[in-house]
Amino acid sequence: MFRHIFAYRLKVLLRDKTMIFWTMIFPIALATFFNLAFGGLGESGSFNVIDVALVETQPNPQFMSVLDMMTAGETPLFALQKVTAPRGETLLADGHVAGIITVSESMSLKVNQSGIRQSILKVFLDRYAHTTRTAGRIAAEDPQVLMEMDFTPVVFTEERPVSHAEMDIKLSYFYALIAMACFYGSFFGMEEVNLIQANLSKRAARLNMAPLHKLKAFLYSSLASYSILIVEMMLLMAYLVLILKIDFGNQIGWVIFTIFVGSLTGISFGGFIASMVKGDENVKTGLLIGATMAGSFLAGMMFQNVKHLVQLKAPILQYLNPVNLLADAFYALYFFNTCKRYLINIAGLLVFAVVFAGSTYLVVRRRKYASV
Amino acid sequence: MQVFKLCMKIFKKNLPVMTIYFGVFIIISIIMMTNSRPAEQAGFIQSKVSIVVFSNESSPLVDGMKEVLSDVAVFVEMEEDETLIQDSLYFRRIAYVLRVPDGFTEDFLSGKEPKLAKTSVPGSTNGIYIDMRLEQYLNTANLYVRGIPGIDAETLNAYTLEDLDYETPVEMQRADQRFGVEGMMQYYFNYLAYTLMYVVIMGISTIMLVFNDLNIKRRSSCAPISPGKVTLQFYLATLLFSLISWFVLVSLSLVFSRNELAGSNTPGFIINSFVFASSTTSIGFLIGNLVRGREAISAVANVFTLGSCFISGVFVPQAILSDSVLKMASLFPTFWYVSGNSQIAVSADFTESLIIQIGFAVAFFVLALVVGKKKRMAIEN
Repeated sequence: MFRHIFAYRLKVLLRDKTMIFWTMIFPIALATFFNLAFGGLGESGSFNVIDVALVETQPNPQFMSVLDMMTAGETPLFALQKVTAPRGETLLADGHVAGIITVSESMSLKVNQSGIRQSILKVFLDRYAHTTRTAGRIAAEDPQVLMEMDFTPVVFTEERPVSHAEMDIKLSYFYALIAMACFYGSFFGMEEVNLIQANLSKRAARLNMAPLHKLKAFLYSSLASYSILIVEMMLLMAYLVLILKIDFGNQIGWVIFTIFVGSLTGISFGGFIASMVKGDENVKTGLLIGATMAGSFLAGMMFQNVKHLVQLKAPILQYLNPVNLLADAFYALYFFNTCKRYLINIAGLLVFAVVFAGSTYLVVRRRKYASV
Repeated sequence: MQVFKLCMKIFKKNLPVMTIYFGVFIIISIIMMTNSRPAEQAGFIQSKVSIVVFSNESSPLVDGMKEVLSDVAVFVEMEEDETLIQDSLYFRRIAYVLRVPDGFTEDFLSGKEPKLAKTSVPGSTNGIYIDMRLEQYLNTANLYVRGIPGIDAETLNAYTLEDLDYETPVEMQRADQRFGVEGMMQYYFNYLAYTLMYVVIMGISTIMLVFNDLNIKRRSSCAPISPGKVTLQFYLATLLFSLISWFVLVSLSLVFSRNELAGSNTPGFIINSFVFASSTTSIGFLIGNLVRGREAISAVANVFTLGSCFISGVFVPQAILSDSVLKMASLFPTFWYVSGNSQIAVSADFTESLIIQIGFAVAFFVLALVVGKKKRMAIEN
């Protein structure tokens, strides 16, 4: 009996093009758009060499030697262009340089906008001026000491990274997307309940007359849905990892386990809505899409800051939103060295799955109809 | 006007769904409004970065350090919770975490060159910026520690702060220049593209679905109205629908950006969106003629609108998108609509964008006519 129901259910589901589209093609398309749109996002905050125009009105060899240090080496801070004053103005106006440094006894800076690169230029010039003053003061105390002093800057900070992983902001969009795809699996769950409750479809009315344990029939056909969802999710993951080159860290086994749990919660969520909500299929579909979208939104799929905002302003909401739990599980797996946060998320998802499936069971079991 | 009236009836029936899409637009716009950037400043303003400092020590050295950093940073109070810190760094709420180890002052004054522990987003510009200021303070203080042996903490602090007090004169190229003042109106008009495309494509295709049903098509071709008249009334109805959608969305955009209404660019935005609405209508015709089935239409409409909006810079600014993506996007009218909007925002000439959009409108319309004619001649669906 298992083989019969399972195999035919698979066939039926695979021919449902709309279902396959929304649960697989749509997430893949969305991932493609994300990748195209956010491809350059990871680099937007990272450091690039700053282009600077240099105008010498008075020779200042001491300053020039310091500047040379900043432009040489493996990670130069500035790229210099020595130019005349009018040429510098043109370069600045056309946006080819971030600022013009005018060298005379003391330096001055000319910019045309207030930004972080301009600020770095200013801090650099300030720094030179400050060291000059310090040297002057020490010389006043004891010129001999100054002659012997080493002005090479000492590094007083050391990096203590919080995580071994790269802080690529793009990833949170993809995590939320996978979570959304898992929860689109709720369409399968809804379909399963519709096909087992005699008052919801003709096929279910027919099935209820068959000499077959209802729970078994329900479980077998749900298993077919679950298998298809898992295969779809694996294809989505393969697309993300192999074609779009999204980095999920080195715990791929746990990532896949997370997808198994997430898909389970997704399907049971669909069953839950279908059995709890009175109304026709359009209402239920609308509710499913609405709930999934709202959940994805709060999990940061549209704007990543929303997820963080929820965390700060309404921390309870992040645990009540299964989509966020799922997205956060991926996030925790990738960024955190400890697994506590990951386990909390997975536990939350399992609790949701049990509640959804349990309620569905209570509604579906032992229904008898005098007429449908 | 039977056909026209029928179209209106079908629209009325679909009104609730359309209202939802308008609602989505309003919600997105409100979110963007709350996320909008602060007003621009005139003149040169040094950037400030949000940082967190954890320190158990309170010495002149540490206080001086904080004072110096306060020129370039805003201090954020935060619990010492690893998870919270990491989340805040990841979502860029803070850029830098500095921990002062116990005994730092003592070690520093005795010339041991102790290290502060810092955590920042690796390689970020903000992190480098804080580093420069911090190292400058500590290095200056260190020079005094080595240059004037036995210097006491207060003098050290006073000398260092005095030295760091000097600021390089900064001049703006044009004193009256305003920077990054793209008003919000441009963004509202950009988001409008998403809703307008979705609503118009869905609306037009929904009617075409009804008309293209084989039995209904056969029945209506028996009717004593010439096919030309049917088509004309049909187009009139859809045009009216697009116009109403355009009008509603433009009004909403204008309401959202009401404090910029007086700007000289407002008519430009309205004209650009009107031309965009016409090219969207043509696309709606084409899709309605090509696709069968309600589910298929919503699938195509979703993917087409989302896809073209993502790569054309509706959701993410065009400046961030890579060149190859933009090249691909230039095959869609959405791209030209968005770049038209950015040209309007800086009062540049946007006729090219307009002409290209009109070209798209005509091309898609002709294509839709050809496909429609072929479909009409077909015996079966």
